[in-house]
Amino acid sequence: MRTSKLAQTTAALVLVACACAIIAFGFSYRGPLDRPNPYLSRATTDTGATNLVAGIYLDYRLYDSLFELLVFSVAVLGVRFYLGTTRQSPNTKAIPESQAVRASADLLFSPILLIGVYLILFGHLSPGGGFSGGAVAGTGLLLCAVALGAETVARRFHSTQLELFEWGALFVVLLLVLIPLIFGLSPFTDLLPRGAPGELLSGGTLLIYNVLIGIKVFVGTWVVISTFIRHRGEI
Amino acid sequence: MEMINGVTVAVVLFGIGLLGLIIRRDLVIKLLALGLVDSSVTLALVSLDARQDALTPIWQGAGLAYVDPLPHALVLAAIVINFALLALALVFVMLLVERYHTTDSHRIAHEIGRETEE
Repeated sequence: MRTSKLAQTTAALVLVACACAIIAFGFSYRGPLDRPNPYLSRATTDTGATNLVAGIYLDYRLYDSLFELLVFSVAVLGVRFYLGTTRQSPNTKAIPESQAVRASADLLFSPILLIGVYLILFGHLSPGGGFSGGAVAGTGLLLCAVALGAETVARRFHSTQLELFEWGALFVVLLLVLIPLIFGLSPFTDLLPRGAPGELLSGGTLLIYNVLIGIKVFVGTWVVISTFIRHRGEI
Repeated sequence: MEMINGVTVAVVLFGIGLLGLIIRRDLVIKLLALGLVDSSVTLALVSLDARQDALTPIWQGAGLAYVDPLPHALVLAAIVINFALLALALVFVMLLVERYHTTDSHRIAHEIGRETEE
C-alpha cells in the first residue's frame, strides 16, 4: 500500500513535469515583435473606443462575449437550481456585527457603487467595462450583506424584479445582436454611428452592451452570493 | 530574456495546481488547485506581450508602442468562465457533502461503489 502510494505520487510528478515542459516549450516561440498589428492600427477608428481591449471584445469578437455572457447566466441558473433542491440552512439569523463594520459599510457602500457605475459607463474609454464594473458593484452589495445581514439586504431587493432585470438584460443583448438582420446585414453588425474617439458616446453600441453586461453581472453575483448564504448559513 | 518572467512563473504555478488536482483527495482543495491553474493561465496570457517600453492598450495617438490587446480580451472570457465554473463546482461539492458527509473523493467513490452493489 505504501509503495503504491509512492508510485502514484511519482507518476503524478512525472506527468505534471511533462505537461509543464510541453507548455513552456510552446510559449518559448515568439513571433517577430515588430510585425504590424491590425488591432493596434485600426481598432480605434473601427470601433470608436479608446480602450482597445473593449473594442475587441465588444465589437470584433462580440460573438465570444455573447457566449461568455450565456455561460455566466447558465452558471447563475445552475447555482440557483441545484441549491434549490437542498434544504435551507437553519442558521440564517444575522450574526451581530461590530460597530466598525457597520460604519465602514455605511461609508463605503455608495463610493463602491459609484465606482462600479463609472467603470461600466466609461468602459470603452478607460480600463473597466461591464464585467469588472458589475463585479465591483456586486462586491459593494456583499459588504452590505456582511454588515446588515443577507436577509435584510435581500428583503430590500424584490427577487422577482431582480430576475426580470437579469433576464431582461440578456434578452435585450440577444435582440440587439439580431437587429441588423432586419436590414439585411449579418448579425453582430454595429449600426450606430461613431463619435470622436475619447467622448462618452463615441463607441456606438459598445456603451449599451457595457451597461447591459454590467446589470447582468451585478445581479448575477448578488444572486450567487445570496443563494449560498441562504443555504449554507450567514457570513 | 530574463529567466524569471510572467510565463515561467505561470508554468510553475500551473504545475503546482495540476499536482494538487491529481494527488490531493479533498474536493475543496481540488477546486482551489483548479483555481490556481486558471489563474496561471490568466498570468501567462497577460504576460505574453508584456514589455517595459510599451503602453497599456488605451489609445493615446498613433506612433506609440502599445501592448497587444488581443490576449487581454481573451483573459476576460477566461476570468468569467473561471468564476462560473468554480461557483457551479462548489454547488456540486455541497450536494455531495450533504449526501455522504465527507469531502474526501476516495471515500465518496467508495460509498458510491457500495451503493451500486446493493
